[in-house]
Amino acid sequence: MTSPTISRHARWGVPTLAVSAVVAGFALQPLLAAASAADLPETTPEQLVAQVLAADPQPLSGTVVYTADLGLPNIAALAGVAGLNSAMTSADPTNLLAGTSTLKVWTDADSRSRVTLQGGTSEFSVVHDATQAWTYSSHDQTVTHYTVDDPARLAELGQTEVPVPADLPTPPRAADDLLAELGQHSTLTLDATTTVAGRAAYQLVLTPKSTTTLVGRITVAIDGKTFSPLKVAVWSRDDAQNPAVELGFTDVTFATPSDQVLTWSTPAGAQVEEVVVPLPTDAEIAEAAAEAQDLAPTVTVSGTGWDQVVTITGLPVDELMGLPGTGPDRSAHRHPLPGLAQDYAQMPEEAPQIAQSLLAGLSTEVDGGRLISSSLVNVLLLDDGRVLVGAVPGDTLLAAAR
Amino acid sequence: MPAETGPTAEPTTGPTQTERWTPRRGATGRLLAAELRLVLGRRRNQVFVAGLGLVPALLGLMLYLTRDDPRTSEGPGFLTQATNNGVFLVVASLFMCLPFLLPLTVALATGDAVAGEASAGTLRYLLVLPVSRSRLLFAKAVGALALVAVAVGVVATVGLVVGAALFGLHDVVLLSGTTVPLAEGMLRVLGVVVYIGLSLTGLVVVGLFVSTLTEVPIAAMVATVVVAVVSTILDTLPALSAVHPYLLTHYWYGFAELLRLEVDWNTVGTGLGLQVAWVVVFGAFAWSRFTQSNISS
Repeated sequence: MTSPTISRHARWGVPTLAVSAVVAGFALQPLLAAASAADLPETTPEQLVAQVLAADPQPLSGTVVYTADLGLPNIAALAGVAGLNSAMTSADPTNLLAGTSTLKVWTDADSRSRVTLQGGTSEFSVVHDATQAWTYSSHDQTVTHYTVDDPARLAELGQTEVPVPADLPTPPRAADDLLAELGQHSTLTLDATTTVAGRAAYQLVLTPKSTTTLVGRITVAIDGKTFSPLKVAVWSRDDAQNPAVELGFTDVTFATPSDQVLTWSTPAGAQVEEVVVPLPTDAEIAEAAAEAQDLAPTVTVSGTGWDQVVTITGLPVDELMGLPGTGPDRSAHRHPLPGLAQDYAQMPEEAPQIAQSLLAGLSTEVDGGRLISSSLVNVLLLDDGRVLVGAVPGDTLLAAAR
Repeated sequence: MPAETGPTAEPTTGPTQTERWTPRRGATGRLLAAELRLVLGRRRNQVFVAGLGLVPALLGLMLYLTRDDPRTSEGPGFLTQATNNGVFLVVASLFMCLPFLLPLTVALATGDAVAGEASAGTLRYLLVLPVSRSRLLFAKAVGALALVAVAVGVVATVGLVVGAALFGLHDVVLLSGTTVPLAEGMLRVLGVVVYIGLSLTGLVVVGLFVSTLTEVPIAAMVATVVVAVVSTILDTLPALSAVHPYLLTHYWYGFAELLRLEVDWNTVGTGLGLQVAWVVVFGAFAWSRFTQSNISS
């Protein structure tokens, strides 16, 4: 029998050993994940871009994580204060501005795919199968079924949208065009190879030539085998440590997903809403194009390259600014995805007031309007109804407004 | 503390009565059996577990009576599913109990384990048993885990029975909207129950450690509940996102992965691995503390 008292060494040694073992375990985890050394053949940015453009879409399944850290005030807290609470669903749209969202994607690279937005204990699914699509919200068990009124017309539209030109642009040529365009305002370089979702990947870096833009650089990780993009990150000029916006796979398998994943069967007990999407006729398309022409003068672009400032006029800004204005009929502004809107926004009736208080929390008062300032993009809302947007500092926007 | 008052209520049977004691096989087994009898036979534990069993019963009844009310669909997760399929009443009940009632169960089990014995003056009788303190601590941990397992099991069983009676058992619709046969659905729900049970092991060991620090069982119980609640609160603070993956309660709701179309075993494994880490660290702390000779009784 052991004696009731244990030696002093063991008394201190065992907890120390336990703590160090656990710490070592956590520290080792990323090392194990990165164990597949990225030894990829040498390449040039030009070659890589051509290979990416030449690559076929790959059937895959994987987890995509989106992270945003735009340096905005804590919008989730603001929304909570404003009464816009979707805490229990925990997959809320404010995560797109600050926070993390997890998506799962499956695609056969042809006509069928499934994308799900993962909440803590909920899920929003979008299943697409050729001419049909379904959305399903686990939160309130509603299905929305989208169909087109004339599938034959869809094929026709697909035809007209991609006319076969006389000189078919081969991928290398398209790459040349793209590179030439990019080269005007940015420099394209290759960083050291990296590992994304356990796969060896090249890293393309796009650096703006302009020194006044807020965008520091954009990195794109390209899979070394399939030449599919695995991760895109946008870095602001201020923060070299963490990307402002990042979208990438944390786990990916390049194989056709199972039929169970890609097919949809409406579960028993779910509420189903049928939505038939009418396809435009040729006349309507022409009309829309004419309307777009009319709309064009309200959007003006000044500056070049990364320093472009887009000025939009004629938006109902005054309503947002808290000035008396005729609010648009909310029912007319139906969200294109009712399920998504209900599940993740749950807009109460007092939405305009909420938008106002959100805006007040997000923006700062400047001369002649309000400025929403983030680490990548600045938005200037002027009292006269103009909205200026650009990846430039707020002062540049103010100067452009004058 | 007067020696006469303590031990009568607590049946510390076995080795103490054996005059011709020699170490032999089966001693640990008898110690465990005695501890389980003690923990599961304690009247307040039985009453508490019975009270926990009322949660799914009341929840089911409430859902049954209000099933036509459109507001039901605005409840937190799994409530809506429960009205369509009794199987989900198990998940909904555990989901309701997880933030507070189950940590309270853990606190009840661990607070009594060491601090309770110390406060009642019975710990010294346990310590004079010719059983190593490591084994004694192990028996205490098993006893506490058993009570938690019984509590989770009771909630799940009552949930299933009440759910089946009120809403029937049907093929299970997963969070992804895919319908799987009832047998597979039941297996997944069983996985949820087991995952939730295992998710509490870290807190059990933390509670056991706290219990070795004090002679006041209430203090140990409160501290254990506070650990769970504070961990949950810290988990909601965005500024602390760097430490979130290491928080005791961070993966508690990972059980939802088992109800998705393709189970993300990564998350499930990470959640269970984190519990193992907490068990190892605080198990070592508790062992170190409990095996010290100057522990009070």
